[in-house]
Amino acid sequence: MNYMPWTASLIEDIDKKHLVLLRDGRTLIGFLRSIDQFANLVLHQTIERIHVGKKYGNIPRGIFLVRGENVVLLGEIDLEKESDTALQQVSIEEILEQRVEQQTRLEAEKLKVQDLKDRGLSIPRADTHMTRQRLST
Amino acid sequence: MYLHQRPSKFSAPLAPEEGSVSAFYLERVEEENEEDVCSDQAPDVEEERNDLGDPAILSVIQNTQVPRQRGLHGSPGAKALGTLGMSQASLRFLCKTEKASPGRWRTVEGRKHGLHSCLEGFAKHWVKSLRGKGSLPSHLTQLHPQHQRILLQQRSQTMSLAKKPWSLKPDTYANLMTRKEKDWVIKVQMVQLQSENPHLDDYYYQEYYQKLEKTQADKELLGNRNRAESLKLVTPHIQKAEGYESVVRIEGSLGQVAVSTCFSPRRAIDAVSHGTQEQDTGAASSQRLRVLSLIEKMFLQLLEIEEGQNDGFPQLYHTGEQRNQVEKLFQALKTQGQDNLEETADSLLQVLSVRKGKILVARLLPFLPHDQAVSLLLYITYHLPLLILRDMADQALHILFKPLGKYIRYLTFHQLLHGLQGLMLLPPGTSERPVSVFGISLLYALLSHGEQLVSLDSSLQASSDCAAWTDLVILVTWEISQLPTASLAEPLAFPRNLLPLFCHHMDKQLMQQLEARM
Repeated sequence: MNYMPWTASLIEDIDKKHLVLLRDGRTLIGFLRSIDQFANLVLHQTIERIHVGKKYGNIPRGIFLVRGENVVLLGEIDLEKESDTALQQVSIEEILEQRVEQQTRLEAEKLKVQDLKDRGLSIPRADTHMTRQRLST
Repeated sequence: MYLHQRPSKFSAPLAPEEGSVSAFYLERVEEENEEDVCSDQAPDVEEERNDLGDPAILSVIQNTQVPRQRGLHGSPGAKALGTLGMSQASLRFLCKTEKASPGRWRTVEGRKHGLHSCLEGFAKHWVKSLRGKGSLPSHLTQLHPQHQRILLQQRSQTMSLAKKPWSLKPDTYANLMTRKEKDWVIKVQMVQLQSENPHLDDYYYQEYYQKLEKTQADKELLGNRNRAESLKLVTPHIQKAEGYESVVRIEGSLGQVAVSTCFSPRRAIDAVSHGTQEQDTGAASSQRLRVLSLIEKMFLQLLEIEEGQNDGFPQLYHTGEQRNQVEKLFQALKTQGQDNLEETADSLLQVLSVRKGKILVARLLPFLPHDQAVSLLLYITYHLPLLILRDMADQALHILFKPLGKYIRYLTFHQLLHGLQGLMLLPPGTSERPVSVFGISLLYALLSHGEQLVSLDSSLQASSDCAAWTDLVILVTWEISQLPTASLAEPLAFPRNLLPLFCHHMDKQLMQQLEARM
């Protein structure tokens, strides 16, 4: 039954598998069991998925109650297409290691850029480099 | 029978609620008798084809398009059926069961067109029923038709190449949220949507829905089928709590309780500053602010008047109301600042000095009764030099030309003269005459009208006014010839009887100069 035509409503998404992106950057995947008018969500059999590069790892988390205001977006997962992915699943320990590595790399990069900035130099970035090229021609 | 024996062929992500797909199909077949799904009469086939504007159908059919000439790959019907995940026998079975109930199903086998058209009809039936029953997710039905087509194509493809047997293991945690709870949430969401003026609050949806209904009504006139009506969002009419007492006294208790509802949360501690009284910091700036706020208030009234006209309500009811509003607005325009008599005359001028004020007057003019509009016209004409001077920055006077122009013909000769005399006066404090497109255009229009009046009514020619008129015309022509060509801008409208008018009063030399400039 189409409860609310022409509007977006979560009612029809109940009992379906969803991917939820939270404001703190976490990605949760679980079955949406219950909602309320604030879009607070109850997720069942939830896993938290961590992505690093082309790899990902799942951490089983159980039942989540998510406050609506913390949700950035959510979408239904097509169960048939779920396995159709180019990403590689790895174990939890490995993905956590990878994530730590990624963080340290990013921080090192940031420090480098900051140092150069202090010295008045700037490394051309892909996006700014192009515009500079275009301006010069 | 066949259907039950081959459950693996059916992958039906569309209807997970139903126990088995076969049951679904059967149910559909039994229920929907009124639908003329399959017929083999030529005119009906045409009918089917005409209705195949439905892109969802087209998508399924296109998948099954096999040139009829080639018989190599089996009959088109078989191919089509393969896409739908059914066998010929299954379809025959369906057709036969339908034959039992009153309807226009015929045996399908052996007919060249029959199977294909039957299939088209069936596909249409299928998609429509899916839509009607909501088995097609609602988010699909609201998509752009092309998008829908693509998605349905993909679905039909996956159905034919079903990788896994359809098996969503019975979800033991399903329906944790009961129907009652779902209804409650929906009710709350609906309450948030209701409004007293949906045309204002939800303009785009209302317009879209009207358009949709209109096209459907048109289609209904052209086509014969009564298409399924698209649903409209109807908010339940729930009475909003009218009043709100911030403080509630419960009997038998000491003291009071602060109350807040979701519509009226707890009132904040009076953060409203009672405001310092308007100090006379710069009378000019406060004056300007007063004028601006006045214009804003009047504009809101004007918008209401315009909206009243646009709504298309029966005119009888509204003209009375509308006239009141217009009258009120006009009075507001003319007579503000009653405490200071000097200001009264100036207020209209000040309003007209602001760009928005000019727009306000221009939009109000069509609503005014003739005499009031004429009085506005005269006022503007009389004060034209000053207005032009003040309009130098905005250059917005031309907005007034068209609405004013309509009322010029209601001017009497005397009024016209008076207005023009004012027009020719120089504003205080300037030595040069300010010139603008609007000014010139208005001048020409007025002169043209004057000339018309004079030529039509011979009695005027004898009166004393006529002498004044002639003087005026001479003055005007002299001024025009004096102005440097650059500042003589193109008028917005050039009346045809002006040149003869000037001819009449001028000598040749001046005429040549004038002709060169105009």
